[in-house]
Amino acid sequence: MNAAPADDGRRRGQILICVAILAGLALAGVYLAAGGATYAPEKTQDPCKHRAWSDPQSLGQIANQFSISALDGAACQLGVSRETLAQALATEENRERFAKRYGIDDAKLARAIRAGLLRAVTDAEDAGALSPLVGGPIRGTIEEIPLEQAIELINDGSSLFNSLQTFLGPAGDLLEEFLP
Amino acid sequence: MGVVLADSSVVVLALPDIYRELDTSVAGVTWVLISFNLVMALAAVPAALVARRVGPGRAAAVGLAIFAGAGLACGLADDLSTLILARCVQAIGGAAAVTAALELLPATVGSERRATVVWAGAGATGAALGPAIGGILTELVSWQSIFLLQVPVALAAAVPILAVARDEASTRVIESELRRTGRPHLWANLALAMVSAAIAAALFLLVLLLIEGWRLSPIGAAIVVSVMPLAAILGSRLAPLVPSARARAAAGAIFVSGGLAGLALLPKAEVALTVPPQILVGIGLSLVLSALTETALHGRGPQAIHGGWTISARHAGVVLGLLALTPIFTHDIATQREDAIDAGTAVVLDSTVSPLIKLDLATKLGDRLESEQGKVPTLGPIFDPLPGDEPARSETEQLRSELQDQLDRGATHAFSLSFALAALLGLLALIPIALSRRVEL
Repeated sequence: MNAAPADDGRRRGQILICVAILAGLALAGVYLAAGGATYAPEKTQDPCKHRAWSDPQSLGQIANQFSISALDGAACQLGVSRETLAQALATEENRERFAKRYGIDDAKLARAIRAGLLRAVTDAEDAGALSPLVGGPIRGTIEEIPLEQAIELINDGSSLFNSLQTFLGPAGDLLEEFLP
Repeated sequence: MGVVLADSSVVVLALPDIYRELDTSVAGVTWVLISFNLVMALAAVPAALVARRVGPGRAAAVGLAIFAGAGLACGLADDLSTLILARCVQAIGGAAAVTAALELLPATVGSERRATVVWAGAGATGAALGPAIGGILTELVSWQSIFLLQVPVALAAAVPILAVARDEASTRVIESELRRTGRPHLWANLALAMVSAAIAAALFLLVLLLIEGWRLSPIGAAIVVSVMPLAAILGSRLAPLVPSARARAAAGAIFVSGGLAGLALLPKAEVALTVPPQILVGIGLSLVLSALTETALHGRGPQAIHGGWTISARHAGVVLGLLALTPIFTHDIATQREDAIDAGTAVVLDSTVSPLIKLDLATKLGDRLESEQGKVPTLGPIFDPLPGDEPARSETEQLRSELQDQLDRGATHAFSLSFALAALLGLLALIPIALSRRVEL
């Protein structure tokens, strides 16, 4: 083989390698710029950190925020994520699995949920969504309720507010007065 | 030969169906793929020695007959053990046919060098085409049809070989031009094993991502992965322009790694985004497999023996790649599934739908995940029926789309590390490629 075709062949080889490197880098660069390195499920937030309430406009929205705050509070106590606790409380079966996996008995769970509900009341008061006049009796109720009812309450905060309305009877309409 | 080498990858798209139909585990079904490649790796060199002893025509004819018979057994298998056993027998027949083909080809194509190029090209094409063919057959007929179709194809290939087998002397005319050496080309075969591991990972993981992660049908996935063989054709057109096999091998390994890096960095769960990485992998596999096979065979004889070493290296690489990456991606799938469920739960919790609807959704989602046995679920039925009034309807649709997005993110991210490791493996192959003797063909 003489020198010229050999040089030409070497040059072609070098060009092919350069094209391969550039193509790989360009593809990786474009995908990285488009968010390829972070395309993963959203990370769950620390339940012990305060989560700001977004301007609740109705009883339903307050109940929603209340449930979320209560879940955060309970999850923080138990050292699990809010999402893990929410899944655990969705069904009886999930709860048993959760108790087994994390070694949490009913008493500990009840204590954590009550603590979570109390935090939710405080958060609601801080957000101006609940008057301290209503917060007081709610706290008293929460401290006494059994586990099953506490779970019901954390899953559906509206039941608390509906119960309060029923409890207050004709004065229940006044509850709306305490809402923003 | 193409049908035999396609066979190492042809069942990839059928694995989910085999998994469900034969009621086995993910690890168990992976052995349908691993067993064939493992036996090919072990049997290739002994099969080549037998071919030298009894004559390549006889060896190829008997090999194809065994391959066809075992293919029939695979197609009729109704349990995993029978299927795996039949796959092992099929690999023995395949090894005999493929290595003997290399001894037969010079008489057909006119020269030993041309035979090497054709043989290496058939290997690359078979590997690239396998998944697409398997997917189409699985969807249109059944996974069994993949094996049953191999029976007439292998028998048809055996017919002309029988004529050669009757006159074995005719196949040895060109043997004198070869340098007899017992030592295989270490660096080229090592590089072949490493890039084969990376390529097998690309095919296997991409198919799993498409079917199990993004919920495509086998035929849908087959259409998507057909980009790779099409790109391989393009790569084979580039090969004659570059005389240096080492440069082609290096460029091919870099193309494959670049494509795998792209798959590791997918920015969205969209089929179209897999096309550019597949193009790079396709071009790369065509360049690197043929260049390394040519390097390993160049100037060495007997061809069947050295061809046997390349087959052995390639299939050993596939086995090692699958064995190394399977535990990594199965672990990542499980982890990402949990992360995706957590992220989905956060989406539901933070949504403005009523708490009771949230509870109902959580229960339905849990049931759905349970019934899908690890597969990413389609969320449509969970949200049915959609609320009648417009604000609630659009709110629910928004929630469904956000929830699906989290699941898609989890499914895609679950494969990222495995693709990245496969890319690294492809790049590491540059070391033995650099150490291989320069070969100008």
